[in-house]
Amino acid sequence: MTKEERLKKRHRSEKRFKLYGVASIFVALLFVLILVQNIFSKGSSAFMKTAINVEVFFDPELLELQNGASSDDILQADFFDITIETLLKAYPAKNLDEENELIDLFSTDAEIEIRKAFLENNNLVGKKINLEITASDDIDQLHKGNYPRDLPEDRRRISNFQLNIYDNLVESKKIVKNFNNYFFKNGDSRNPELAGIGGALVGSFYSILICLLLSFPVAVLASIYLEEFAPKNKITDFIEININNLAAVPSIVYGLLALQILLATIQLPRSTPLVAGITLALMTLPRIIIPCRASLKAVPPSIREGALAVGASKFQSVFHHVVPLALPGTLSGTIIGLAQALGETAPLILIGMVAFVVDIPSTPIDPSSSLPVQVYLWSESAERGFVEKTSATIMMLLSFLIVMNFIAVYLRQKFEKRWN
Amino acid sequence: MSNIKIKSKNLNVYYGQKQALFDVNLDINEKEVTALIGPSGCGKSTFIRCINRMNDVIDICKVEGNIEIDGIEVNDKELDVVSLRERVGMVFQKPNPFPKSIYDNISYGPKIHGKGETKSELDEIVEKSLRKAALWEEVKDRLDEPGTGLSGGQQQRLCIARAISVNPEVILMDEPCSALDPIATAKIEELIDELKKTYTIVIVTHSMAQAVRVSQKTGFFHLGKVIEVGKTEKIFKNPDNKMTQDYITGRFG
Repeated sequence: MTKEERLKKRHRSEKRFKLYGVASIFVALLFVLILVQNIFSKGSSAFMKTAINVEVFFDPELLELQNGASSDDILQADFFDITIETLLKAYPAKNLDEENELIDLFSTDAEIEIRKAFLENNNLVGKKINLEITASDDIDQLHKGNYPRDLPEDRRRISNFQLNIYDNLVESKKIVKNFNNYFFKNGDSRNPELAGIGGALVGSFYSILICLLLSFPVAVLASIYLEEFAPKNKITDFIEININNLAAVPSIVYGLLALQILLATIQLPRSTPLVAGITLALMTLPRIIIPCRASLKAVPPSIREGALAVGASKFQSVFHHVVPLALPGTLSGTIIGLAQALGETAPLILIGMVAFVVDIPSTPIDPSSSLPVQVYLWSESAERGFVEKTSATIMMLLSFLIVMNFIAVYLRQKFEKRWN
Repeated sequence: MSNIKIKSKNLNVYYGQKQALFDVNLDINEKEVTALIGPSGCGKSTFIRCINRMNDVIDICKVEGNIEIDGIEVNDKELDVVSLRERVGMVFQKPNPFPKSIYDNISYGPKIHGKGETKSELDEIVEKSLRKAALWEEVKDRLDEPGTGLSGGQQQRLCIARAISVNPEVILMDEPCSALDPIATAKIEELIDELKKTYTIVIVTHSMAQAVRVSQKTGFFHLGKVIEVGKTEKIFKNPDNKMTQDYITGRFG
């Protein structure tokens, strides 16, 4: 081979390598794009809900309330008759079957919504107002175009009569799309139109908070001790190897551990953010210790020597100089560890967080769900409405993770650049 | 004849299995510059790191024998290293200012030793130390800027000022100019000349010329042993030992 040929060959192989690199990045991006597109197209509609505009008449004969009644009285009063009257007025139904079908177009929470409207404006007795009442899941999905209406009637959840009403309501512009506040406010529900991630959000928040409070101080102190103070011998080597091993232990194993120790032995309350937080803290601990030690190790020894040489004690050299320099790395490692904990599902399933919880937890020892478990729960549900809810929950979870990772990157860049 | 400040007797140092110093006996005079020369790995740095017990940091390092400063044993396990290092400052091969402001770099030592109680006392110490290190004029207007933003030579003078700030009796310098250009080196040498009026200085250097320029006494190390110690003039003009002669004339090393 001549010199020129060799040179050409070298250039060719370089070009080839570049091409492989670009191609693999392209493939990776494509997968991400497909994932995001899939989640968005399915999930974005969950942030809107369908409502039907109806006229409510607070008939004094049906309502046992006077204007100016106390809110306690209103909450106890019976709004059932008024609700039925209101819903039936939406369309002329000829017999009992048709009436039932008509009522089925509305959410089961119609009564609560009417009461709420009354509660907000406490002098409506004998008056008429227009109210947008949440539609049932079937109408919601039909209106969003997720439900095929060209199936034969016996294979449809919506009857011809109901379709007829729906078309009529659309024509008279009685059907509206509103922002779905239930999705953020409510806990889980059997009715997709009422189900929300409120409970899961609060549950996840408590879990991560407890996880942070438990794992961060322990992890930071452990890494400072191991990195700066502990003698380097067989015992510390053994500890180091085991920390690395623990970080690789499948999370479900931590779930089993928590099941046995926290639930069976200590008898902490099942399905609670408290237990979830402790379990996640156990799992996150080694995952924080590793980046924490790495960032301590990255502080140049000359800084320690400089401090020692002016007469700082070991403790002073570590806490005045090494730890502040390692802090950005430590914090970003912690945040990434917490982000992993936030998306963790398997151990939470084992400690009973898969329970169906309607109420939003007010303390960490109330039964609760969490975002990833909510995804798991809804993905198993048959109702069409839960498909979009599942994707929307994934969107929420992903956006939390992205925000956390951004904070981690920001902290690292901002505080590490400062002196260079 | 000046007083002996530091006296080492039969000093042996081991790094694990490897012995780094063999029976080192060396006296260092007060308010004088003592230069330690010798080829790389001969134990010069190990020796000066024994004087302020910096070798404690290295787990596998073991020190046997005696070093006395003003008759007080340094290797005494009961001795508080913090107060020892307050008396014996050190400047390293590579400038290592803290990644903090110039002011904080200097005030850190006095603060941890409780020397500057008030802000004005600290201000005074900072100014005095920087003046002594011939850096004041260059940085007086930017004391709150990071010390790491200075040039190499300025950083090294900042480290000298940091060492001075706790008002030590001895300053150890471990090849302080090896990372600097000739102009910065000249400035540091000038500074060392000035500092020896107040402090006892031990300097490790690879530059024979530097040893001649700054020191009054020179010790030649080879393979962990002190081959020859004497007045600098004598060592460089008329050494007793053949090996010293060979080293200073550049025949090995």
